[in-house]
Amino acid sequence: MRRAGSLLVLLLAWQGAAEAHWLNPLLVPPPTQVAKALGALFQNGQIWGHFGTTLEEALGGLTVGIVAGGVLGAAAALWPPLAELLQPAMTLLNAVPRVILAPLFIIWFGIGVASKVALSFLLVAVTIFFAMYSGIREVDPRLVDRVRTLGGTGLHLVREVYVPSVASWLLGSLKIAVGFAFTGAVVGEFVASSRGLGYLLSFAQSTYNASLTMALICLVVAVTYALFAGFERLERWIFRWREGRPTPARVPLRQRQDAASRYAAEKTP
Amino acid sequence: MNALEIRGVKVAYGARPVLDGVTLEVPLGGFVALVGPSGCGKSTLLRAVAGLTPTQAGEVRLFGQPVQGCSPDIGFLFQEDALLPWRTALENVALGLRFRGAMRETARAEAARWLARLGLRGVESRYPHELSGGMKKRVAIAQVLAPRPRVLLMDEPFASLDAIVRLLIQQDFLRLVQDEQLSVVLVTHDLEEALLLADHVAVMSAGPGAVITRVYPVPFPRPRDLVGLRGDPAFGALARAVWDDLQREVARLGWEVPA
Repeated sequence: MRRAGSLLVLLLAWQGAAEAHWLNPLLVPPPTQVAKALGALFQNGQIWGHFGTTLEEALGGLTVGIVAGGVLGAAAALWPPLAELLQPAMTLLNAVPRVILAPLFIIWFGIGVASKVALSFLLVAVTIFFAMYSGIREVDPRLVDRVRTLGGTGLHLVREVYVPSVASWLLGSLKIAVGFAFTGAVVGEFVASSRGLGYLLSFAQSTYNASLTMALICLVVAVTYALFAGFERLERWIFRWREGRPTPARVPLRQRQDAASRYAAEKTP
Repeated sequence: MNALEIRGVKVAYGARPVLDGVTLEVPLGGFVALVGPSGCGKSTLLRAVAGLTPTQAGEVRLFGQPVQGCSPDIGFLFQEDALLPWRTALENVALGLRFRGAMRETARAEAARWLARLGLRGVESRYPHELSGGMKKRVAIAQVLAPRPRVLLMDEPFASLDAIVRLLIQQDFLRLVQDEQLSVVLVTHDLEEALLLADHVAVMSAGPGAVITRVYPVPFPRPRDLVGLRGDPAFGALARAVWDDLQREVARLGWEVPA
């Protein structure tokens, strides 16, 4: 409520500043003009095709990235040689801004959907890899002992201990991954494409159309935020047993990476 | 017949011996407390008996039968409560029953009875983070006892509680042990607790390669007055004797805890 209120105040101030001619409307168009541009996008209906393309790329990258990152992360956690093998590559990929690979992916996969899915896949997979890996490695050994001494077997351990502990790491990262999936798709389109919100953005920018650019930015922010909020609600419901603890998403990536390198260091003499 | 017989159990972590042939008997319905210098391997012995740590030699017999791995007749109460944070108090207590194949409703009804026995009516649907330290300890006790183990291993279970809560829980716990006719091994660093609760106190030597050096009988009749007993001259004399023994073990280490 307060957030909505402060947003409204900001918009009114912006509008007022524009009406008073304090702002150059070519550079900073007033909210009404941005809204008009946004309305026009929906009115002629062309937006849906572009929107669909970006959504398809983002969701494609998200799905494949979650599966691949999850499987690789689980495999590395359960089989240390693989962790040692993947460690340097994953640490490097985690440390650099992965979007710099966008031009390379365009060369490899063309200017179509594939290169954007690949970029968004890479962004998502690395995040999920570390979440899955840390989630399994950091399972509380005391809970494992507890279940075993109560007569629990392998399947009980997985259901009662491993799945819930890993889920708490994974769901936090999933929120971040949704944002990454859209980053990958839009940035990929921005570099080279013929469709999608990133393509529209690139078009708006090249024609110096500030209101269209802002309208598109608002659209991308709204979609990502809606997905993010959806995941957060799901997370709150699943983790109703948890109190006031920071979700693993708020644990800085660096720290999670540290958990990974600590483990690798332990394994290498 | 003995409830539990530990014969020549050896445990080593790599090349470092931790236990070098530990032998200990717990009679049926007996309560043995295990004291020793810190780091001497008391917890390792419990873990070996529970099947959580592999042994290099020796055997563990439960009612005359050798045990391998985790036995359903052995309950283990840990120092930390180690309740599953994503399960309610009731679900936590029902866990062991469910693992043994009880139907969901049967297990829940039985778990509710156990919570009531520990004076915890009304907390069934609370999660562990919503319980106080003492309540969590009671839930943990209910969780371990609900599947009806016949031997109970305890690794400093009351160490984390404040003095008043500890006394209350110890009293209730002793009653449960008697009602359930449990045979108990209690590892503790608290000499007074050992003498108040147990009817035998076994002293472990300093590691590495620890053994049990002596077992003292604790002759005080039950039920015991956990507050009044401390003032008993016989209690003081026994505490002094065990303490002198312990002190010799600690001195052998030059007052250092082994690395």
